[in-house]
Amino acid sequence: MTTRSRRLGEHWLAIASPVALIALWEWASATGLLRAVFFPRPSTIAAHLGDLAVDGTLWRHLATTLMRIGWSFSMAAVLGVAIGLGMGLWRRLRDGLDPIFAVIYPIPSVLFLPLVSFLVPAGEIALVVTTAVTSFFLIAFTTAHGVRQIDPRVVEAARHYGARGWRLFAAVLLPGALPFIFTGLRLGLGFSLIVVVAVEIVAASRGLGALLWMSWQVLKVEDMYATFFVIAMLGAILSYGLAMLRARLLPWVPDVADR
Amino acid sequence: MIVGPDGARQGGERAAKARRVLDEPRLQSSVAARPDHAVEHRRDDIGPWFWPPAAKDIIVPTREPKVLVHEVSVTFESRGRSVVALDRVSLQAHAGEFLCIVGPSGSGKSTLLRVLAGLHPQSSGDVRIRVDRPGTPLTAMVFQEHALLPWRTVRDNVTFGLENRGVARAEREARAREMLGMVGLTRFAAHYPHQLSGGMKQRVGIARALASDPEVLLMDEPLASLDAQTRTIMQEELLRIWSTLGKTVVYVTHSLEEALLLGDRIVLLSARPGRVSRIYPVELGRPRGLEVRASPAYGALLETIWSELRHEVVRAMAADRGTEPDWLGS
Repeated sequence: MTTRSRRLGEHWLAIASPVALIALWEWASATGLLRAVFFPRPSTIAAHLGDLAVDGTLWRHLATTLMRIGWSFSMAAVLGVAIGLGMGLWRRLRDGLDPIFAVIYPIPSVLFLPLVSFLVPAGEIALVVTTAVTSFFLIAFTTAHGVRQIDPRVVEAARHYGARGWRLFAAVLLPGALPFIFTGLRLGLGFSLIVVVAVEIVAASRGLGALLWMSWQVLKVEDMYATFFVIAMLGAILSYGLAMLRARLLPWVPDVADR
Repeated sequence: MIVGPDGARQGGERAAKARRVLDEPRLQSSVAARPDHAVEHRRDDIGPWFWPPAAKDIIVPTREPKVLVHEVSVTFESRGRSVVALDRVSLQAHAGEFLCIVGPSGSGKSTLLRVLAGLHPQSSGDVRIRVDRPGTPLTAMVFQEHALLPWRTVRDNVTFGLENRGVARAEREARAREMLGMVGLTRFAAHYPHQLSGGMKQRVGIARALASDPEVLLMDEPLASLDAQTRTIMQEELLRIWSTLGKTVVYVTHSLEEALLLGDRIVLLSARPGRVSRIYPVELGRPRGLEVRASPAYGALLETIWSELRHEVVRAMAADRGTEPDWLGS
């Protein structure tokens, strides 16, 4: 089979399986196999999603969530890459920070909300900072690892051919770590979405998480599912977008370039 | 102290102390400290003083030495034990010579090359490389595992050294074109290393070394990882390139046949600790091609060197067995 037709085959399955699942759901809800109060028919959910979009509710909440992700992810990315590079380049920094990171990193991020609220004014800033915490650790860890995994023989060859100091960093160490930095960013972005929704459920009146939670509270189950769907799509789009960006920016990474 | 191409020191601080530009002895330190001084060197500067040739190096140099290795020893510290990798190695390479170094594994062949490249400091002894063209690097190494930068295209890998030295773009591009043409990769200039075969990657490694136009070209088993057919082709290519450019080459290989095909002289290193066991002139004529393998002189020389090398290989194997842990306490 040619590559093209094999790719078509894979894509075909990727589309067919969710369609089949939705069709099954539709059928089960329609026949009463699933209780429509908790599992409304996908077509009904789609109609509600349409309503939410038309009256602007959806866009308002979506915009709020996107804004929060934007701020917290940018913060996490800038600090995470900077500190991760530092940890990768300087053993001392790594030795000093590793234990602290190891303790803080596994704590579920939402738990930082009260702590952060002591440090910065509660409200929007606290939300954004809390969301950034886990992403920051992920990005810093992955970046540091990215620097350390660079083939020492490549670095030696680069030095032999006269790369020193800034040149060594910019032409060798940074590009060498970039594939890992991108992986870290992708993970971090995914976690930003997870955490922002969780934090919105706990402590916000706007945003997709808040919309989902409120819909659940007042048993507008269709709206809840509609929001659910939007969050899932958002996650997929962000992750896919970053993967595309990676393929565009890192053409030398074999598994990306060859696909 | 090494005086580099760009007037910068090459290699690590310790390694840097070790290599010196050939010069009048009394001028050594000051010259080393002020690289621009190197401009004053000319071939005839070499004349009056001269390292005495090592006792075992019975070949009387007919040309001026380009590379002088004098009583170089390298000792590695590993887990509190010190291992002597090279023991008072002395040899020289003449300008334009293709010098091959063979020896059993663990004889310090690669270490010697790394010392020449300034990648590893020697524990004692001297390494000197004569500067004929100030402004170019002393050495450029072709690494065994090619060690290309995966994120740079073939062209940008070749120009990397020139970029680091601040050579203007136009000149870099021209040099890259010329060298890629020489190794037959013109059409692959825009490819990334992962898109190339092993043999092609090694061609890029060779082009990169040639592009930086070093005083001495160092090659560390560059063909070892290639399949037999590719290796044969590459050997012919190397001969062609070497005869075109007339570079001084120090070439490490574990293949005696390769050394006989390529080299002007063969330095045989002994099993650890690496010493110069003997130096053989390869009088098989030039230009040399694969057909030389059919000549009786080739067979005789191969036999002579192999009987010696075999002895060293057996010794190396015995030594390896000796260092193995004795699990059962037999």
